[in-house]
Amino acid sequence: MRFWFAVIRQAGRNLRQTWPSQLMTLLTVSLSVLIFAFFYLVYTNMISSSEQLGDDLRLIIYLEDDPGPEMQEQLRRKITNFDKVEDIIFISKEQAYEKFAAQLGNNRDVLDDIPRDFLPASVEVIPLKNLRSLNQIKLFSQYLSKLPGTLKVQYGQEWVERFYYFTRLLSIVVFLSGSLLILTTIFMVSYTIRLTIFGRQAELELLKLVGATNNYIRTPFLIEGVLQGLIGSSLGLFSLFLLYQWIKRHFSGPGLLELFSFTFFSPEAIIAIIVVSIFLTTAGSFSSMQKFLRI
Amino acid sequence: MTENIPSANDTMVELIKVSKSYPPDITALADISLSIRTGEMFFMIGKSGAGKTTLLKLISNMEPPNSGLIEVAGHDLRRLRGSKLAKLRQRIGVAYQDFKLLLDRTAAENIAISMEVSYKQPSQIQKRVKNLLEQLQLSDKHDTITGELSRGEQQRITLARAVANSPTLLLVDEPTGNLDAETTGRVMQLLVKANNSGATVIIATHDESIFKNTRHRIMELQRGRMVSMKEAAAS
Repeated sequence: MRFWFAVIRQAGRNLRQTWPSQLMTLLTVSLSVLIFAFFYLVYTNMISSSEQLGDDLRLIIYLEDDPGPEMQEQLRRKITNFDKVEDIIFISKEQAYEKFAAQLGNNRDVLDDIPRDFLPASVEVIPLKNLRSLNQIKLFSQYLSKLPGTLKVQYGQEWVERFYYFTRLLSIVVFLSGSLLILTTIFMVSYTIRLTIFGRQAELELLKLVGATNNYIRTPFLIEGVLQGLIGSSLGLFSLFLLYQWIKRHFSGPGLLELFSFTFFSPEAIIAIIVVSIFLTTAGSFSSMQKFLRI
Repeated sequence: MTENIPSANDTMVELIKVSKSYPPDITALADISLSIRTGEMFFMIGKSGAGKTTLLKLISNMEPPNSGLIEVAGHDLRRLRGSKLAKLRQRIGVAYQDFKLLLDRTAAENIAISMEVSYKQPSQIQKRVKNLLEQLQLSDKHDTITGELSRGEQQRITLARAVANSPTLLLVDEPTGNLDAETTGRVMQLLVKANNSGATVIIATHDESIFKNTRHRIMELQRGRMVSMKEAAAS
């Protein structure tokens, strides 16, 4: 208890003495978290949108002939060998005819003179509704078109490709901004702590001489790191929330946002971002202190 | 002013063939062997550059020797690391010749620092700081920034910091260098008081006025070598 009282008082003293550089670090952490969280928010929303848009996405493989039970099993095996799928539906020529006739409704009599096997048999493959499967669809379609007895493979090719490239670009941006967050927070925090150490070299040396333990010297700096991470990331996320509210207010109504149903982070994601930020800033602080304490 | 002459044989400081040199080839101490008993008051005298400060630095583990063994309170200093070293340092009070004060802090904050690191209660720290400032006639300097004090006042603050945590070993380097006769008397009173409470006190000085009538042991150093040892007078 006395230890914590002493180190918290020491941390308060540190913050009072070095507040300008502490403020700069806090702003840097906030900005880094804001940049990263912005791209991550767009990314997570794109993923959830892909699930919604992917509901109607299916690959249709047109076959030369109706597959028998053995052939169906072989095709099922070949398909699942490539990737897990949500469902595989076999449609015989007869079923395709019935389906088409049902779609024609009252006009089905136009089919009267047409043989019931004029439509090809097909297999409908419904991929899993996640981004990885979505990105794989092109490869999947190429694979399926090479299966024996396949006439043609059909899917919303243009849309899928655009979506695929966009999400790929976005994942790179998220990765880069995440790396930027890690580098800037660790660098800035350790740099600030190092500056503080240089500024207070005499005091820290004296503390050692009068018998301060390494924990007594180190803990106030770690507290600073925790506070930088906690306050910095909270500020960054709060700024992003304000930005999100502003965007929602100004761009609501029919259009892009309605199509994508834009949502903010879940409480779990917010806690995760804050915890990771605290971890990074504390790590920056810890590494600087270790260098000093080894001297 | 009564002085404490220890009868106990417990050794507080033990040095065996201790040598220290600095580059390129300056011998600060050569083959010093010495035992200082617990509760003893011990004087180290000699001219500037004789090796007094170096010896205090070695005993307080600020610097390691080049060779030889140093034990303080039974601990071999070469083997002490981390929290054990910190704990020992909390029991050693050092009044440095160059003061080592935090010049942007108040006199009270400087004195309190040695008690803060051993997690003393704030009320206890405040009481002790006030008491020490009073003993050294510095009560009015409680909240004065140390950088604004005179050399003599700074010296007394250093001494107050050294005794504040009631150390078992007190190392004092030239305690009266910047003081007039009256203040020298007060400083010596404080050191004797610490010694009477059981602390081992080692004083490095060339101020003859503080050791000429003493009954304690006096070791004289010259160019890093022990040249004489005057034994303590019988009680």
